[in-house]
Amino acid sequence: MRLRTLVIFAVLVLMVWAAGCAQKQSSTKQLTLALVEGVEGEALKQAALDYQKQTGVQINFAQFPYQNLFEKELIDLNARTAAYDLIMLDDPWFPRFAGNQFLAELTPLLIKRGKSEPDADFVEASVNVCRFPYHTGTLYALPYVGNSQLFFYRKDLFEKNGLKAPSTWDEVLAAAKTIQEKEKGANGGKMYGYVMRAAQGNAAVADFMPIFWAFGAEMFDSTGKPAVNSPEGIAALEFMLELGKVSPPGYASFNADEVSAHLLQDTAAMSINWPAWISAFSDPARSKVIGKIEFAVLPDGRKPGQAEIGNWLIAIPRYSQNAEAAMDFLLWATTAEQMKRSALRGNPPTRKSLFQDPELVAKFPAYPTQFRSLSTSRPRPRTPQWNEIENAFGIFLSKANSGELSPTEAMNQANAEIEKIIQRGR
Amino acid sequence: MPRSRRLFSAGARRELLLPYLLVAPALAVLLALSIYPLLYSIAVSLQQETASGIVWTLAHFKRLATDNFFLTAMAHTFVYAIAALTCEFVFGLALALLLNGQIRGRGVFRASLLVPMMLPTVVVGIVWRLLLNPNFGAINGTLKQLGVNTESLTWTASPRLAFLAVVAVDVWQWTPFVFLVLLAGLQAIPQEPYEAALIDGSSRWQTFRHVTLPLLKPAILIVLLLRTMDLLRVFDQIFILTEGGPGFATEMISLYIYRTAFRFFDFGYAAAMSFVLLALTNVVSVIYIKLLHREE
Repeated sequence: MRLRTLVIFAVLVLMVWAAGCAQKQSSTKQLTLALVEGVEGEALKQAALDYQKQTGVQINFAQFPYQNLFEKELIDLNARTAAYDLIMLDDPWFPRFAGNQFLAELTPLLIKRGKSEPDADFVEASVNVCRFPYHTGTLYALPYVGNSQLFFYRKDLFEKNGLKAPSTWDEVLAAAKTIQEKEKGANGGKMYGYVMRAAQGNAAVADFMPIFWAFGAEMFDSTGKPAVNSPEGIAALEFMLELGKVSPPGYASFNADEVSAHLLQDTAAMSINWPAWISAFSDPARSKVIGKIEFAVLPDGRKPGQAEIGNWLIAIPRYSQNAEAAMDFLLWATTAEQMKRSALRGNPPTRKSLFQDPELVAKFPAYPTQFRSLSTSRPRPRTPQWNEIENAFGIFLSKANSGELSPTEAMNQANAEIEKIIQRGR
Repeated sequence: MPRSRRLFSAGARRELLLPYLLVAPALAVLLALSIYPLLYSIAVSLQQETASGIVWTLAHFKRLATDNFFLTAMAHTFVYAIAALTCEFVFGLALALLLNGQIRGRGVFRASLLVPMMLPTVVVGIVWRLLLNPNFGAINGTLKQLGVNTESLTWTASPRLAFLAVVAVDVWQWTPFVFLVLLAGLQAIPQEPYEAALIDGSSRWQTFRHVTLPLLKPAILIVLLLRTMDLLRVFDQIFILTEGGPGFATEMISLYIYRTAFRFFDFGYAAAMSFVLLALTNVVSVIYIKLLHREE
């Protein structure tokens, strides 16, 4: 009995001592990164491993799927645990993080390093989403991956039917009707003219905003009141339902996977999509339409077409214990040289020079189009309450698309909900 | 003072303390992991962050009455629970009665019935999402081969079909559990009452109504209670199958609470909703217990 107690006690002492040693070791420079799973996070991870080799700074990773990353970061930042020294974030989350004073100001750190502004080589639209308030405010992040929406269409079917490249939404609808009528899809099945995602939440809103803006609608009027039920807004939703008539059945629950599957499987002719999908179309294992898809900028309406921006940013949490070391890494990872390596892995850059880099343009022929799309892109409304607004707006868009509500009713109800959210304010 | 005058000897005192010492670790864990968070969440539900700091308020609970999303999600949850529970109970009881008797291949039936229950709910959600895909899914594929026009069978994209689908998936997965508990209950009933009923010349229905059902009541109570509590807090399979859509058609209260806390960053309101759900679940449980004990 005595002996066993003694042994247990000894083991406990040893464990505490070992833990103490581990603690001591960590006094060398260490950084912890919160990354997204997938090609965007993978690129930063590889860069960090190179950095570790070059500088001896030890880097730890916490990698999460897109769906979980936001809440993991939010909980950590809110609790001020300082578990992460650098975080990757999707630009719509930025107003919440910056607005709640969760992020470190980058300008003082830049000044210490002899700079006052982020490099002029960054695309303006990308740097703008790193400031709070938008465009004019304080800099809290640097842009890492330069995604913005593109318009994908079947060049071969357009040529075959004597249609010109779609430059307005009216042309898109007319072409979609013609193609659906005249063409057959894979295995003699049906070919749909258009395909979109109208699942509630992010999906419906992302595919609707370019139409909404092109019709001249705005989510908020000049006084900051919600105005989605303006005549332009309702007309835009009516147009979305017209597109729905030439989309595959069930599109009201589609997400990015279903939309891309229809394009890849040769059963739909057009869609709005993100650059991350471009490479899939030349992959023989996945694509039945190799070389047949053209990538264009968003069509015009009453106003010039504008894509939604969806950049990945990197920021330093305000309570990080290693802000200086984190800034050194952040500047290094966003240099043209390092970003080119990320671009070669398939991530669109946020630097103008890289969109013109001959090696990259040879590998990614859509770069000139992507650059035009990104430079003229628009952010989602920049408010900390965006998640909640997007959720409400998306529910009513989805309801209109599944036939539960008329476009006017849907927009009126959406407007009322958005107004409630704004008034509650937080 | 002489030693003998002391109320307790040192040894006796030690013995008196021992039970408390033994319970202390468990109590500490319970306090840290259950009681403290519970009290904390009550506090959170009564607080609001304003420009001038945190204030105590009933605002979150007042908002509940005017929040269409909350009221609709709550209504969906109860309709969903009642529909799924009814089907599960009827099917579960029928299967239990059927497989309680001597039929061929009873073992195989029993074993194969349990498979859905063994799957993690997340997997169930993914499998059904694939099966129900309107264009590439197996269900519409099979129907098409049988000559059915599947154009309007968009499942997760149609508000009514989507609700039907989420109910059906739960029935598919959890009927076996109801069956299992009821079967165990049936097998625990002794033969004597049946023999007595037979001698008294009771019909099969009378035997079922007056012998089987009353004796099965404890098992019925347990299974209804467990399923109701599970159904009211359903999350994973719906989150994966429809994410509450299309629109708001299959949004359940647990999904809305999750969104409010972790997407909209409003922990106070989420906590307030959780307490309402907790209270309602308790009320339902008490009603069950009262109803099923009344006749005894």
